[in-house]
Amino acid sequence: MIDIYTEKKDSKDWILKNDLYFNLNTCNEEMSQNEIELIQQVDEAKLTPDKHIETKYGLGTIRNLSSGCKTLLNIVKHPDKVVCVEECGPNVLKIIFEMDNIKVYMSRPTLFEIPDDAEIRFNDTDVVTGNSGYNTWWSREYERREMDDL
Amino acid sequence: MIYKNITFKADPFSYDLVFDDRITLVGGDSGTGKTVLYEILEDLRLTNEYKAIKLFNYKSDEFLETMKRCRDNFIVIDNADILINDDIRKFINFEFSNQYMLFLRNCDGLNVSDKSFKVLKLDNNRITLEEEL
Repeated sequence: MIDIYTEKKDSKDWILKNDLYFNLNTCNEEMSQNEIELIQQVDEAKLTPDKHIETKYGLGTIRNLSSGCKTLLNIVKHPDKVVCVEECGPNVLKIIFEMDNIKVYMSRPTLFEIPDDAEIRFNDTDVVTGNSGYNTWWSREYERREMDDL
Repeated sequence: MIYKNITFKADPFSYDLVFDDRITLVGGDSGTGKTVLYEILEDLRLTNEYKAIKLFNYKSDEFLETMKRCRDNFIVIDNADILINDDIRKFINFEFSNQYMLFLRNCDGLNVSDKSFKVLKLDNNRITLEEEL
Protein backbone atom coordinates (compact mmCIF):
# COMPACT_ATOMS: atom_id res chain seq x y z
CA MET A 1 0.00 0.00 0.00
CA ILE A 2 1.19 3.49 -0.88
CA ASP A 3 -0.15 6.17 1.43
CA ILE A 4 -0.61 9.61 -0.12
CA TYR A 5 -1.30 12.64 2.04
CA THR A 6 -2.51 15.78 0.29
CA GLU A 7 -2.50 18.29 3.16
CA LYS A 8 0.86 19.54 4.39
CA LYS A 9 1.70 18.87 8.03
CA ASP A 10 4.59 20.15 10.11
CA SER A 11 5.76 17.10 12.01
CA LYS A 12 9.00 15.39 12.92
CA ASP A 13 7.64 12.36 11.09
CA TRP A 14 7.44 14.32 7.84
CA ILE A 15 10.31 15.18 5.48
CA LEU A 16 9.45 18.34 3.57
CA LYS A 17 12.95 19.63 2.78
CA ASN A 18 14.44 16.57 1.11
CA ASP A 19 17.82 18.09 0.20
CA LEU A 20 18.38 19.26 3.75
CA TYR A 21 17.27 15.99 5.35
CA PHE A 22 19.39 13.97 2.95
CA ASN A 23 22.49 16.13 3.39
CA LEU A 24 22.29 15.96 7.18
CA ASN A 25 21.01 12.41 7.70
CA THR A 26 20.42 9.96 4.87
CA CYS A 27 23.75 10.55 3.13
CA ASN A 28 25.58 9.39 6.25
CA GLU A 29 23.89 5.99 6.17
CA GLU A 30 25.36 3.00 4.37
CA MET A 31 24.03 2.55 0.82
CA SER A 32 22.93 -0.94 -0.22
CA GLN A 33 23.47 -2.38 -3.70
CA ASN A 34 19.82 -1.64 -4.49
CA GLU A 35 20.28 2.00 -3.48
CA ILE A 36 23.50 2.27 -5.52
CA GLU A 37 21.53 0.98 -8.51
CA LEU A 38 18.74 3.52 -7.90
CA ILE A 39 21.35 6.30 -7.92
CA GLN A 40 22.66 4.97 -11.22
CA GLN A 41 19.14 4.71 -12.65
CA VAL A 42 17.94 8.20 -11.71
CA ASP A 43 21.05 10.36 -11.95
CA GLU A 44 23.22 8.07 -14.07
CA ALA A 45 25.72 8.48 -11.25
CA LYS A 46 28.33 6.00 -10.12
CA LEU A 47 28.64 5.91 -6.33
CA THR A 48 32.06 4.96 -4.95
CA PRO A 49 32.52 3.24 -1.57
CA ASP A 50 33.74 6.54 -0.07
CA LYS A 51 30.51 8.30 -1.21
CA HIS A 52 31.92 10.23 -4.14
CA ILE A 53 29.86 10.28 -7.31
CA GLU A 54 30.73 10.46 -10.96
CA THR A 55 28.08 11.83 -13.31
CA LYS A 56 28.02 13.32 -16.80
CA TYR A 57 28.22 16.72 -15.10
CA GLY A 58 31.46 15.84 -13.32
CA LEU A 59 32.76 14.53 -10.01
CA GLY A 60 31.22 15.32 -6.66
CA THR A 61 30.02 13.79 -3.45
CA ILE A 62 26.78 12.05 -2.61
CA ARG A 63 25.40 15.45 -1.59
CA ASN A 64 25.53 16.50 -5.25
CA LEU A 65 22.80 14.06 -6.26
CA SER A 66 19.61 15.57 -7.70
CA SER A 67 16.76 16.55 -5.38
CA GLY A 68 14.62 13.83 -6.93
CA CYS A 69 17.24 11.17 -6.28
CA LYS A 70 17.71 12.40 -2.70
CA THR A 71 13.93 12.23 -2.19
CA LEU A 72 13.86 8.66 -3.47
CA LEU A 73 16.65 7.65 -1.08
CA ASN A 74 14.92 9.42 1.83
CA ILE A 75 11.84 7.28 1.11
CA VAL A 76 13.78 4.04 0.76
CA LYS A 77 15.83 4.65 3.91
CA HIS A 78 12.96 6.04 6.01
CA PRO A 79 9.73 4.27 5.00
CA ASP A 80 8.17 5.24 8.33
CA LYS A 81 8.25 8.93 7.39
CA VAL A 82 5.89 10.89 5.15
CA VAL A 83 8.13 12.29 2.43
CA CYS A 84 7.27 15.26 0.19
CA VAL A 85 7.56 14.23 -3.47
CA GLU A 86 6.63 17.58 -5.02
CA GLU A 87 10.14 18.12 -6.38
CA CYS A 88 10.28 14.71 -8.09
CA GLY A 89 10.24 14.35 -11.85
CA PRO A 90 8.15 11.67 -13.59
CA ASN A 91 11.18 9.33 -13.75
CA VAL A 92 11.44 9.28 -9.94
CA LEU A 93 7.69 9.15 -9.30
CA LYS A 94 7.47 6.08 -11.55
CA ILE A 95 10.02 4.30 -9.34
CA ILE A 96 8.34 5.45 -6.12
CA PHE A 97 4.97 4.07 -7.20
CA GLU A 98 6.50 0.68 -7.95
CA MET A 99 7.37 0.45 -4.24
CA ASP A 100 5.16 -0.70 -1.37
CA ASN A 101 4.54 0.37 2.23
CA ILE A 102 5.65 3.94 1.80
CA LYS A 103 4.12 7.31 2.70
CA VAL A 104 4.32 10.40 0.52
CA TYR A 105 2.98 13.94 0.48
CA MET A 106 1.75 15.50 -2.77
CA SER A 107 -0.70 18.39 -3.02
CA ARG A 108 -1.51 17.94 -6.72
CA PRO A 109 -1.44 15.18 -9.35
CA THR A 110 1.45 14.59 -11.74
CA LEU A 111 1.41 12.66 -15.00
CA PHE A 112 3.53 9.52 -14.72
CA GLU A 113 3.18 5.77 -15.13
CA ILE A 114 1.55 3.95 -12.22
CA PRO A 115 1.40 0.12 -12.23
CA ASP A 116 -2.14 -1.24 -12.70
CA ASP A 117 -1.94 -3.21 -9.46
CA ALA A 118 -0.57 -0.39 -7.26
CA GLU A 119 -2.73 0.05 -4.17
CA ILE A 120 -2.96 3.67 -3.12
CA ARG A 121 -4.62 5.11 -0.03
CA PHE A 122 -5.41 8.84 0.09
CA ASN A 123 -5.39 10.61 3.45
CA ASP A 124 -5.85 7.37 5.42
CA THR A 125 -9.34 6.85 3.94
CA ASP A 126 -9.91 6.35 0.19
CA VAL A 127 -8.24 3.27 -1.31
CA VAL A 128 -7.84 3.18 -5.11
CA THR A 129 -5.95 0.99 -7.55
CA GLY A 130 -3.57 1.89 -10.37
CA ASN A 131 -3.47 4.80 -12.74
CA SER A 132 -7.22 5.06 -13.30
CA GLY A 133 -7.97 5.06 -9.58
CA TYR A 134 -5.32 7.72 -9.01
CA ASN A 135 -6.67 9.98 -11.77
CA THR A 136 -10.30 9.52 -10.73
CA TRP A 137 -9.47 10.43 -7.13
CA TRP A 138 -7.68 13.61 -8.19
CA SER A 139 -10.54 14.63 -10.53
CA ARG A 140 -12.96 14.40 -7.61
CA GLU A 141 -10.51 16.22 -5.35
CA TYR A 142 -10.28 19.11 -7.80
CA GLU A 143 -14.09 19.26 -8.03
CA ARG A 144 -14.17 19.42 -4.23
CA ARG A 145 -11.53 22.16 -4.14
CA GLU A 146 -13.46 24.15 -6.75
CA MET A 147 -16.65 23.87 -4.73
CA ASP A 148 -14.79 24.93 -1.61
CA ASP A 149 -13.19 27.78 -3.60
CA LEU A 150 -9.70 26.52 -2.78
CA MET B 1 12.61 40.75 -20.69
CA ILE B 2 15.83 41.17 -18.75
CA TYR B 3 17.61 38.45 -20.76
CA LYS B 4 16.34 36.95 -23.99
CA ASN B 5 19.37 34.63 -23.96
CA ILE B 6 21.86 33.46 -21.39
CA THR B 7 24.88 31.99 -23.13
CA PHE B 8 28.13 30.82 -21.58
CA LYS B 9 30.69 28.05 -21.57
CA ALA B 10 31.30 25.83 -18.57
CA ASP B 11 33.66 23.19 -19.97
CA PRO B 12 32.94 20.64 -21.14
CA PHE B 13 29.47 22.11 -21.58
CA SER B 14 28.17 25.12 -23.43
CA TYR B 15 24.86 26.59 -22.29
CA ASP B 16 22.57 28.34 -24.75
CA LEU B 17 19.41 29.24 -22.88
CA VAL B 18 16.68 31.10 -24.79
CA PHE B 19 13.66 32.52 -22.98
CA ASP B 20 10.31 32.99 -24.71
CA ASP B 21 8.25 34.27 -21.78
CA ARG B 22 8.74 36.49 -18.75
CA ILE B 23 8.15 33.41 -16.62
CA THR B 24 10.00 30.19 -17.45
CA LEU B 25 9.25 27.01 -15.55
CA VAL B 26 11.96 24.37 -15.85
CA GLY B 27 10.60 20.89 -15.12
CA GLY B 28 11.13 17.47 -16.64
CA ASP B 29 12.83 14.46 -15.15
CA SER B 30 14.94 14.55 -12.02
CA GLY B 31 18.69 14.49 -12.62
CA THR B 32 18.68 16.62 -15.77
CA GLY B 33 21.03 19.25 -14.35
CA LYS B 34 18.81 21.98 -12.91
CA THR B 35 20.81 22.35 -9.70
CA VAL B 36 24.07 22.07 -11.67
CA LEU B 37 22.89 25.06 -13.75
CA TYR B 38 21.92 26.93 -10.57
CA GLU B 39 25.41 26.42 -9.16
CA ILE B 40 27.05 27.72 -12.34
CA LEU B 41 24.77 30.78 -12.25
CA GLU B 42 26.16 31.53 -8.78
CA ASP B 43 29.42 32.38 -10.55
CA LEU B 44 27.89 33.90 -13.66
CA ARG B 45 25.90 36.48 -11.67
CA LEU B 46 29.18 37.97 -10.45
CA THR B 47 29.98 39.15 -13.99
CA ASN B 48 28.94 42.58 -15.21
CA GLU B 49 26.83 41.16 -18.02
CA TYR B 50 24.74 38.99 -15.76
CA LYS B 51 24.64 41.07 -12.60
CA ALA B 52 20.82 41.25 -12.81
CA ILE B 53 20.62 37.57 -11.83
CA LYS B 54 19.31 36.93 -8.31
CA LEU B 55 19.40 33.39 -6.97
CA PHE B 56 17.30 31.69 -4.34
CA ASN B 57 17.14 28.12 -3.07
CA TYR B 58 16.21 26.33 0.15
CA LYS B 59 19.36 27.69 1.80
CA SER B 60 18.47 31.36 1.18
CA ASP B 61 17.99 33.51 4.27
CA GLU B 62 14.86 35.66 4.50
CA PHE B 63 13.68 34.40 1.13
CA LEU B 64 10.26 36.07 1.14
CA GLU B 65 11.48 39.50 2.21
CA THR B 66 14.51 39.52 -0.10
CA MET B 67 12.49 38.27 -3.05
CA LYS B 68 9.86 40.98 -2.63
CA ARG B 69 12.53 43.69 -2.79
CA CYS B 70 13.72 42.54 -6.23
CA ARG B 71 13.18 44.93 -9.14
CA ASP B 72 14.61 44.69 -12.69
CA ASN B 73 16.15 41.34 -11.83
CA PHE B 74 16.38 37.94 -13.48
CA ILE B 75 15.23 35.79 -10.60
CA VAL B 76 16.14 32.12 -10.45
CA ILE B 77 14.55 29.90 -7.80
CA ASP B 78 15.72 26.34 -7.25
CA ASN B 79 13.57 24.07 -5.04
CA ALA B 80 10.68 26.39 -5.94
CA ASP B 81 8.03 23.76 -5.26
CA ILE B 82 8.84 23.84 -1.56
CA LEU B 83 9.74 27.54 -1.37
CA ILE B 84 7.07 29.65 -3.01
CA ASN B 85 3.65 30.29 -1.50
CA ASP B 86 0.55 32.06 -2.84
CA ASP B 87 1.99 35.43 -1.83
CA ILE B 88 5.13 34.88 -3.90
CA ARG B 89 3.09 33.58 -6.83
CA LYS B 90 1.12 36.87 -6.78
CA PHE B 91 4.37 38.85 -6.62
CA ILE B 92 5.74 36.95 -9.63
CA ASN B 93 2.52 37.60 -11.58
CA PHE B 94 2.38 41.31 -10.90
CA GLU B 95 5.98 42.49 -10.52
CA PHE B 96 6.55 42.95 -14.24
CA SER B 97 9.99 44.52 -13.91
CA ASN B 98 11.46 41.11 -13.12
CA GLN B 99 11.99 38.03 -15.28
CA TYR B 100 11.80 34.60 -13.68
CA MET B 101 13.32 31.17 -14.23
CA LEU B 102 11.71 28.82 -11.74
CA PHE B 103 12.74 25.22 -11.17
CA LEU B 104 9.12 24.40 -10.44
CA ARG B 105 6.55 21.79 -11.36
CA ASN B 106 3.36 23.25 -9.84
CA CYS B 107 2.23 26.17 -12.01
CA ASP B 108 -1.03 26.76 -10.09
CA GLY B 109 -1.75 30.47 -9.67
CA LEU B 110 0.97 31.66 -12.06
CA ASN B 111 0.26 33.64 -15.22
CA VAL B 112 2.14 31.34 -17.56
CA SER B 113 1.81 30.64 -21.29
CA ASP B 114 2.52 27.53 -23.31
CA LYS B 115 5.96 29.04 -23.95
CA SER B 116 6.73 29.02 -20.24
CA PHE B 117 7.23 25.27 -19.88
CA LYS B 118 10.77 24.10 -20.56
CA VAL B 119 13.11 21.22 -19.88
CA LEU B 120 16.89 21.16 -19.96
CA LYS B 121 18.26 19.20 -22.87
CA LEU B 122 21.84 17.94 -23.13
CA ASP B 123 23.01 17.11 -26.62
CA ASN B 124 26.66 16.67 -27.49
CA ASN B 125 27.72 18.76 -24.46
CA ARG B 126 25.42 21.61 -25.53
CA ILE B 127 22.70 22.42 -23.01
CA THR B 128 19.54 24.20 -24.12
CA LEU B 129 16.02 24.88 -22.90
CA GLU B 130 13.48 22.99 -24.94
CA GLU B 131 9.69 23.13 -24.82
CA GLU B 132 8.22 20.60 -22.42
CA LEU B 133 5.82 18.32 -24.26
